[in-house]
Amino acid sequence: MTEVRLEAATVTVPVDGSPGQRTRTILGPVDLVLTESRVTVIGANGSGKSTLLRLLNGLVTPTSGTVTVDALDTVRHGARVRRRVAFAFTDPISQLVMPTGREDVELSLRRLHRSRTERRAAAERVLERFGLAPLADQSVYDLSGGERQLMALAVVLATEPGLLVLDEPTTLLDRRNTLRLRSLLDSLPQSVVVATHDLELALHADRTLVVDEGRIVFDGEPATAVERYLALSDAT
Amino acid sequence: MNGPGLFTAHVPGTSVVHRMPLWLKLVGVLVVGATPWFAQSVWPLAVTTVVLVGVVLAARLPARRLVRSMRGLLPVLVVLLAFQWWSRDLAYAVRVVLGIVNAFVAAGILTATTPVTDLLDGVVRAARPLRRVVDPEVVALTLGVVVRSVPWVAGSFSSVRESARARGLDRNPRAVVVPTVVHVVAFARSTGEALAARGLTDPADDDAPGPDGPGASSRSAG
Repeated sequence: MTEVRLEAATVTVPVDGSPGQRTRTILGPVDLVLTESRVTVIGANGSGKSTLLRLLNGLVTPTSGTVTVDALDTVRHGARVRRRVAFAFTDPISQLVMPTGREDVELSLRRLHRSRTERRAAAERVLERFGLAPLADQSVYDLSGGERQLMALAVVLATEPGLLVLDEPTTLLDRRNTLRLRSLLDSLPQSVVVATHDLELALHADRTLVVDEGRIVFDGEPATAVERYLALSDAT
Repeated sequence: MNGPGLFTAHVPGTSVVHRMPLWLKLVGVLVVGATPWFAQSVWPLAVTTVVLVGVVLAARLPARRLVRSMRGLLPVLVVLLAFQWWSRDLAYAVRVVLGIVNAFVAAGILTATTPVTDLLDGVVRAARPLRRVVDPEVVALTLGVVVRSVPWVAGSFSSVRESARARGLDRNPRAVVVPTVVHVVAFARSTGEALAARGLTDPADDDAPGPDGPGASSRSAG
């Protein structure tokens, strides 16, 4: 199981136009050790969920403190961390960078399989495993929202990372596709960290973090976390 | 979003055009692109157009894709034809327009009959002598992203124009151009972030498989 460790991790951003380059803290300091198979993160818009998730594969590096994945520092070993930690965005169309799903899966596999024949065979296996082979040669623009999201997941999981991080993956999906995605996530051997506004999905976890104004204000059992989040939302 | 044009996606097939080696297709595109420089009359260009239509038919590419691609280009061609006719003469204007149409169709045939991954492999091979200056994989990836982004930008322009029309601002160029530029910049940023998240922009020399190499963590996962 992948271990993620955050020690006093803080992210600050410069405040544009401020005298003396003032900064604003958007997350932290956060101290966390994540070893559970399923972790969900809930919180209001702009609370710091996405920043927290981006810390996990080095997309955002901490301004102070450290973030490590299986003892690899995300600043010093960013490339190796990204091979272990896959990241799926809310909008799959920005994630699918090739014209078709098959080509995108092959792109993911370029560094693992230098031979074109091997790469094609490996991509075919990935597409079969996710039940996406019939859609593999369609333009990504012709896929439905649910199909795009599944394709985006197949693309990032093709390299068999140890941890999958998803940033609000159900926001653009209808209920049927949300259930399909949830079932797929349940079946994955990888550790999964999901930020979500879907409280049903949030309950499908071993541990839930509630983020508010850049701080982890609750860390524990999912049902209690959801109650805490609802109380916070109602209070504002 | 616009429907697929010739440049949008690879059209799988087993035709002789699909099976042609990449270098031959690239030479074909270069020859077609260079024809207007050497043609002294409109006839060589017209013959090239007929040959290209034959290639589209031989490759069994959907005609509606070709029409859709050309429809987007049509306003530009009409303006160009009128300008060249006014500034030179009709024969010259037709040569210029046919040259552009031929180059556009030839490039479209290349992208429609060649998987982008094959194009990437070709670019990586071609850029290998320059690897001390630039990472061939990055050059290839850039090309792939450009091919993928063309229909997105066209679709974004179309959506913005519809929004402007709904607000009665369709005659105001700023109401169309500014939001399109903003959309394109946002798209470029999110695409860049997605590429970085997948490690596709990480240096190639940092990816030797070892104890921490690809797939290592998945062996311990679950």
